[in-house]
Amino acid sequence: MTELWQTLLQALAQLASGDDQLWGIVGVSFSVSLSALLIALLPALTLGFVLAYYQFPGRWIAISILNSLLAVPTVVVGLVLYMLLSRAGPLGDYHLLFTQPAMVIGQILLCFPLLVSMSLSAFQAADQRVLETARTLGANRWQAFTTLLFEVRFALMAAVVTAFGRIIAEVGCAMMVGGNILHHTRNITTAIALETGKGEFVQGVALGLVLLSLSLVLNVSLGWMQSNSRVLRQAS
Amino acid sequence: MRLVLTNVSQGFAAQPLFSNASATLHSGQAVHLHGANGAGKSTLMKIMAGLQTPLTGRVERVFDKAEKNNRQAVIYLHQQTYLFDTNVRANVEYGLKLRGEKNTSKVDEALEWARLDHIQNRAAHHLSGGERQRLALARALVLDPQVILLDEPSSNLDVESMERIQHMLAELKGKGTGYLLACHQKNLVSQCCDQNWYLQNGQLVIAD
Repeated sequence: MTELWQTLLQALAQLASGDDQLWGIVGVSFSVSLSALLIALLPALTLGFVLAYYQFPGRWIAISILNSLLAVPTVVVGLVLYMLLSRAGPLGDYHLLFTQPAMVIGQILLCFPLLVSMSLSAFQAADQRVLETARTLGANRWQAFTTLLFEVRFALMAAVVTAFGRIIAEVGCAMMVGGNILHHTRNITTAIALETGKGEFVQGVALGLVLLSLSLVLNVSLGWMQSNSRVLRQAS
Repeated sequence: MRLVLTNVSQGFAAQPLFSNASATLHSGQAVHLHGANGAGKSTLMKIMAGLQTPLTGRVERVFDKAEKNNRQAVIYLHQQTYLFDTNVRANVEYGLKLRGEKNTSKVDEALEWARLDHIQNRAAHHLSGGERQRLALARALVLDPQVILLDEPSSNLDVESMERIQHMLAELKGKGTGYLLACHQKNLVSQCCDQNWYLQNGQLVIAD
């Protein structure tokens, strides 16, 4: 028990000391996950809107596929992406394997279905009169769409927070396509796995504390958004 | 401006909600739309506002040459009005912002007209039924519309709120704004309308 406390205290001290290596790893995690989220966001919201408001052949199949992708293990995404990006794979010429862009692609694949699914639910739960009211007051199609985004903003922010939580905490895909290279592709989760394997718990615990703190912040934000969201209140 | 309906039909081809509806609504004209529940009043109004496409027929907006261009042509107000998830003032400003206008005096006037100026910073979803209807009217009025289509504006209102709505409609008429009013409250419409349209048995009948 004493050893656990000592490890915890050393981890806190390491965090407080501003250790370059540790905070560099945190930086890689945030850089990769925020990039993936930003790239996936607009296409995912647009697809969620199209699936919610337009009827077309194959719509339900598309929704079913997206919902199925929510449950795909991260290592499976990593495996598929590894095969595509490896030298013998169809995208091997781009030399992306074991780079941050490869990790970003992997995380886009992980968060995209979640963003689409949650935005689809938000748009479906939104009041159908929003678009009509906007249009009758003079909004063009784009303005009506942005008005709808504003009306469901808290539900969409909840989707973004949930998606960010999923990708920053995933380890399988980042490990497989990133390669866990220090100062380059080593992020919080892959570093924790490595340090634990080596029996060096201090840095692992320090990084774990960062993830736990992030999780707390995200969940508090999510709770605040839920309490402020008309759409989420109606759905619950 | 004239809103001209020519042979408008809606519903399923085998069982239309209404068919071959033809009528003209002028700006400055006040019309009461009669019809039982489910007769298609809301649908007809949405078609007139351009929010729904008719099965057959067409709706045209015919403008006189001298008419101001910056007026909103037609505005439809829902039976259960939808207010944006922001405060009262921002709701009134919405249409002006879309046009790139920042006319605060117009907004102030509209808020005062609807007697909502004292609660302009209140969240819109905290308003009472009567206040919601008045806000919806103010939000439309600030755009200086030529025609307003009001779908049951008096539903779920108390007597005082109904009187206020009645007063506001009389003012609209005085300003030359045309309106089509679907309403079951005869005492509300008797003083506000000068023509009657009947939507019954799938036909639109015009009567003075």
